[in-house]
Amino acid sequence: MLRFFLRRLIGLLFVVIGVTFVTYAMGYLAPNQDPIAALLGQHNTPQAYATLKHEYGLDKPWYIQYGTFLLNLAHGNLGLSYRYPGQSVNDFIGPAIAISIQLGLSALILALVLGIPSGIIAALRANTWVDTSLMSVMLFFYAVPAFVIIPFYQVLIDILVANNLPTLPVQGWSEGLTYKIVPVVILALTSMGYFARISRTVMLEVLRQDYVRTARSKGLSERRVIYLHAFRNALLPLLSVIGPSLAFLVSGAFVIEDLFNIPGVGGAAIQAVANRDWPVLQGTVVVLAVAVVIMNIVVDILYSVADPRIRIQ
Amino acid sequence: MDTDRYLEPDTAPTQLTQEYLMEESLEPGLHSTSPWRDSFRRFLRDKRAVGALVLLAIFILASLFLLPIYEHIGPVISERHGFVHIGPAKYHSPTYVDNLVENAPASSLHWLGTNYAGQDIFARLLAGIQVSLFVAVIVVGVMDVGLGIIFGVLAGYYGGILDTLLARFTDLIFAFPGLLFAVLVTGLFRQAALDRFGNDGPLYLVAITLGLTIWPQMARYVRGQTLSLKEQQFIEASRTIGTSSNQIILRHILPNILSLIFVAATLDISGTIINEGVLSLIGLGVQAPGSSLGLMIQESLANIPYFPMEAILPSLTLTIIVLAFSFIGDGLRDAFDPRSKD
Repeated sequence: MLRFFLRRLIGLLFVVIGVTFVTYAMGYLAPNQDPIAALLGQHNTPQAYATLKHEYGLDKPWYIQYGTFLLNLAHGNLGLSYRYPGQSVNDFIGPAIAISIQLGLSALILALVLGIPSGIIAALRANTWVDTSLMSVMLFFYAVPAFVIIPFYQVLIDILVANNLPTLPVQGWSEGLTYKIVPVVILALTSMGYFARISRTVMLEVLRQDYVRTARSKGLSERRVIYLHAFRNALLPLLSVIGPSLAFLVSGAFVIEDLFNIPGVGGAAIQAVANRDWPVLQGTVVVLAVAVVIMNIVVDILYSVADPRIRIQ
Repeated sequence: MDTDRYLEPDTAPTQLTQEYLMEESLEPGLHSTSPWRDSFRRFLRDKRAVGALVLLAIFILASLFLLPIYEHIGPVISERHGFVHIGPAKYHSPTYVDNLVENAPASSLHWLGTNYAGQDIFARLLAGIQVSLFVAVIVVGVMDVGLGIIFGVLAGYYGGILDTLLARFTDLIFAFPGLLFAVLVTGLFRQAALDRFGNDGPLYLVAITLGLTIWPQMARYVRGQTLSLKEQQFIEASRTIGTSSNQIILRHILPNILSLIFVAATLDISGTIINEGVLSLIGLGVQAPGSSLGLMIQESLANIPYFPMEAILPSLTLTIIVLAFSFIGDGLRDAFDPRSKD
């Protein structure tokens, strides 16, 4: 168990180095940008320019810059903003991380709670109208992205407002619990469709297994067969698809945090692009990539606890 | 003695073949159908997929041929107290901005009305579909399928350093979840693309970036399929009789994985069109006054309470396109591999 854990930790290290290197190289190669001149604006004198360039470490060769970046990262310091003098990247991303984790985790849990049972119900009623309609709805949510659903939702809200019906807020996050419902639900939709489709396939596979037939043939009630024998075995492979599904959450977070004005990491990234604040953009990329890797490791560990066979490989 | 038999085959098999062929010609109803034909027949039975295909074909044909026609339909109108005369080539152009007709309702002049900048919505929808298709063709058709097949087959068949390099590169790309890499690259290089290639620059940048991140997954998939095919007996048999590696790849491996690639690529198109939409929506894709379905949605959001149709039309169009590709992909998968259905 410890060796397994250590191996995954070393893997994390390589991902961080890879991500930071690519991120850094892209920022280094990107043309027409002189953050120092932009920061100084009309106060640009050769003297001030040289001082500030030294302060930001941009007068050093690229490998020193990258080394400093890595060293700072190891201390949890993501560097200085190009846009707002005196502010660090941490000032932007720090508060955003908590919000994004809250949004992402709630959406993931909601997607699992709704998606897996729908898939299993569809599998148990395979090729009936229940299966077809449930899976059509799930395919719709899986295929149609959040940013297409949001306009429809806003139109719906306007209709509700026009008819004096109760509505949920369309903007904001920290103002209260009601503000969180819609972003979480919309972010969860894609993953929910994905989980539902996968759980249906997995459950059908499990129901064909020999041990299910054995359980039936020894006269167990259908309920016991499904809950004790099939369902528990179907849950196992489902754990392993949580990892790949995190990519949906990250992509969705950009759109949802942007459109709902949620001050999360994705929103900070888009703000950084608009401000041409590259260190903040790089910081968000590193933070999101590391977050997904850590989630993957957590899922892997859970999986290895649930299924000891995996540790031998 | 034994080797002679291989060099000079006796006549028996030829006779048998002839008899077999004669039998075939005697009973034309007993022709065995090719696997592709079987799959095609199964696909046609899937009503949902065929419906999606027809709808998609209408969208594609409309975006390619209706837009040029639309630019010739309509009278010459006078604006600004008769000082300006403009024809449909202008006011039906997807990029023409006209402050005099902002947010106009649908009329015979502007079939679906105009947006906040007085641009014709119908023309912009058609141009937006073109953008989605352009991205789909470049990203999936060229980069995903092209690079995926080349690197996947070579890495799977020959292994070695190419295989290692592919694995490392794939790991690197996979380290960026979702759109992260695309957001980073388009954010950093957008201005340069605008300076270099004008208004279409960001679109090329988006296409190349999405292509760069999509093909490693396809390559890994193709590699896996190639690896398992390589161990099959018919490949071994083919090698035994002296078929060159090139021939084995072209005649035995590729035809056998083509259907799988076809299905994967169709499903990749949905994701790619969505990703282009997301990038345009968050301001990293197509630049106004250019048109893209994502950009149209972004432009309409502020005005939803007053002009909901401006948001609904591009959203609906994108929904139909994305769903159509998903249905077709699902249908193709069931058609090529009927066992995968349940």
